[in-house]
Amino acid sequence: MLIDIRNLSFAYGHRTVISGLSHTINPGDFLVVKGKNGTGKSTLIKCLLGINSVKNGMIFFNGVDINYYRQWTKFGYISQDLDGFNYEYPLTVEELLKFSSVTKKSEQSYLRLLDNMGILEIINQNINSLSGGQLQRVFIVRAMLDNPEVLILDEPTASIDRQNTEFFYNTINELNKKGITVILITHTDAFEHMNYTHVLNMALDLTTSIETRQVEEGSESS
Amino acid sequence: MMLSFLQDLFQQDFMLRALIAGIIIGVMAPTIGSIVVIRRLSFIADTLGHFSLVGIAVSLYLSTLGISIFFETPLYLGLTFSVIGGLLIELFRRAYKNYKEISMVIVISIGSTLSAIFFSLAKKTGSLYQYLFGSILTITNFHLLLIALTAILVLLMFLIFGKQILSVSFDETTSKFLGINVGLFQIIFMIILSVVVSVLLDVAGVLLISSMMIIPVAAGMRIGWSFRSTWIISVVFSELSIFFGLWASHAFELPSGAAIVAVNVLILLTVAIVKRIVIRRQMVKMDKLK
Ligand SMILES: Nc1ncnc2c1ncn2[C@@H]1O[C@H](COP(=O)(O)OP(=O)(O)O)[C@@H](O)[C@H]1O
Ligand SMILES: [Mg+2]
Repeated sequence: MLIDIRNLSFAYGHRTVISGLSHTINPGDFLVVKGKNGTGKSTLIKCLLGINSVKNGMIFFNGVDINYYRQWTKFGYISQDLDGFNYEYPLTVEELLKFSSVTKKSEQSYLRLLDNMGILEIINQNINSLSGGQLQRVFIVRAMLDNPEVLILDEPTASIDRQNTEFFYNTINELNKKGITVILITHTDAFEHMNYTHVLNMALDLTTSIETRQVEEGSESS
Repeated sequence: MMLSFLQDLFQQDFMLRALIAGIIIGVMAPTIGSIVVIRRLSFIADTLGHFSLVGIAVSLYLSTLGISIFFETPLYLGLTFSVIGGLLIELFRRAYKNYKEISMVIVISIGSTLSAIFFSLAKKTGSLYQYLFGSILTITNFHLLLIALTAILVLLMFLIFGKQILSVSFDETTSKFLGINVGLFQIIFMIILSVVVSVLLDVAGVLLISSMMIIPVAAGMRIGWSFRSTWIISVVFSELSIFFGLWASHAFELPSGAAIVAVNVLILLTVAIVKRIVIRRQMVKMDKLK
């Protein structure tokens, strides 16, 4: 999916958080959005996903204005700290994935996805008994249920230990290799193991800059 | 004592009606209640109850003027107002995204004010007690039918839209990426909840409806290990409270709604205490293993 952001600005009340941002994300890109806490990374993502309504500037998905866009199953999204999700009420992994499988496409695909993620054995566990890494993987499975074209992860490694971080990076790289566009938000510099194609830097003074990674031929990291 | 209760249960029509209504409500209240708890809307039944009361008060007032709408059954206008209240809450929730509980305070305030005004205009403040606390023993055949129909409505809602309703309840924000029309299901649930509340009004009263919905779930949550087990446990607690509540009401001549809720609270306390003890034992065991 082609994502075209044109001169986007966003404010909470009088407080401007994004100012005049333009960028095009091509199908298959791996974009890292980087910046300190409070620079508006999550805000940008919420604009992209129609959670914050865009009034200044425009966003197009394959040429369709975001305000008229309806095919949201093409996006897989994992919010920062799973915010908005009630994970205190008793619920097993399978129950979560079962009721999350609403469309024809997603029915039954969760078993295969859990297996790919290596967490089939936790299927009957209560989600509030899982480790940060396990929970993260369950939510990747949930985001992948409808075979999205774009996967968006907001600070996904915050609650994962180091060992799992590596597994996590490999998983995301794999998905991107299969052609899924990835947008990953981070406030750290620890993303050198990712096969990203672009970095969008966001700063507290509202300036932004784009770096495109120069990939040399045959430098496939293993 | 228990024996005479069981005898009366099957010999006296009103007792049997109360039991059947109780069994249905025993399943329906915690089923709807668990969604309410997951959505963190525990005060909503209170709010809707207050708003439903406006409909009843208006209905009583109109009948003193000789105007009868909906065949003089105050319940119908109560139901209408309950649904309006539910839609208002949904509307205010969208306006105050970060302070969702404000919506309930707004609606509860409008509800209490208008009910007080219309009850006194109708010169029926004496009947307020009945609407505040309700009674399962005085329900009519017609009302029993309404309760059964509502239960079927709730059942159908879960059979057809169970996945969507659970998704939206656990996570409003990301449900749209699963192909769900979030706003639509919030409204469907709100309408059905409003219907349930107004139908329970005569049985549990404005003040006790939310207890019947929430307390069994609060107890079930402490021991359930999954959504399904939590639901089953809450239904069992809810049925127990209705059976023993009816018994206590019969044996000690207590108001039935209060007796049922009292049993509910006892169950909740017992669960909390037993769980404490079990956890402490386990900790002692683990210490010994070290
Ligand atoms: N819902 C909101 N209402 C008002 N201000 C907000 C809201 N969400 C975020 N902000 C503010 O906007 C700024 C950017 O926040 P955010 O996008 O979460 O940054 P980041 O994800 O880069 O840490 C912060 O100063 C934050 O306090
Ligand atoms: Mg953030």
